[in-house]
Amino acid sequence: MSFLITRPLYESVTYYFYHWSEEIVKEAKRRIGKIFDIEKEKVSKKLVESYLEKQNPEIVIFNGHGNDVCIAGQNDEPLITSGVNSHLLKDKVVYMRSCDSGKTLGPQAIRDGCKAFIGYAELFQFWTDKTVTGDPLKDTYAKPFFETSNQVALSLIKGRTPKEAQEDSMTKYKEVISHLLISDAENSFIVSDLMWNMRNQVCLEK
Amino acid sequence: MDKHNTTNQKDIDQDIVNLVVARLKTIPSNANLSVGNNKEPMSVDVLIEEVKKQSDIGKKLIESQLFFLRSLQNLPA
Repeated sequence: MSFLITRPLYESVTYYFYHWSEEIVKEAKRRIGKIFDIEKEKVSKKLVESYLEKQNPEIVIFNGHGNDVCIAGQNDEPLITSGVNSHLLKDKVVYMRSCDSGKTLGPQAIRDGCKAFIGYAELFQFWTDKTVTGDPLKDTYAKPFFETSNQVALSLIKGRTPKEAQEDSMTKYKEVISHLLISDAENSFIVSDLMWNMRNQVCLEK
Repeated sequence: MDKHNTTNQKDIDQDIVNLVVARLKTIPSNANLSVGNNKEPMSVDVLIEEVKKQSDIGKKLIESQLFFLRSLQNLPA
């Protein structure tokens, strides 16, 4: 099995995506033979297209900004655009941690032959603590958003089906939300936004 | 990238806006929200202004808060 992940890094949002994806990369390296960790300036349309075509990874994880029709790489360069090069996702299992990716791009990718697509039907949002933004992994406001969404990728790496990976993530959301609802933790205010991401995380299949 | 910055007509009931603003005011001042394609996270004060002027981001915040509050009705008694 082979695995590809994009981790652009050029501002505060991608800074969090980048660091919180380290857990995914680590687990992929442990369990999967061929890993393509495309990071920082390397996350360009040209290189990603080349890897998708020539290396044909079975699991593809995208992190980054986007909208309903495209996912971006470094410095907002569109990597995959609905109806333009979404056919490159054919026969792949894709998780796109990006705003609105499940609205148009996801359904188009499925029509183009993508095996399964997990993304967001609305904005993906997360809270951060500005006193610890230099170390995203220590940010207790952000942690629940990335633990729950990372679960999709971690489950796929462990060999779970896309539907099971989505269910595992939903279970994680429920655990975290239940805990926060009955706690007086300082970060309990994040529940409404966690529920928003949970509601809008969609799994599309052929 | 950003398709969410255009400001639409204000059409949300003022009581709802006030409710969401009141909820946002309870959030610690060290918290910022990363939402949409904004390159920098937004402070609570900025979020409150977005809600008050009912920008697209503000409307999304209202929608997410209302979804949360309505979900509470489904909690077991």
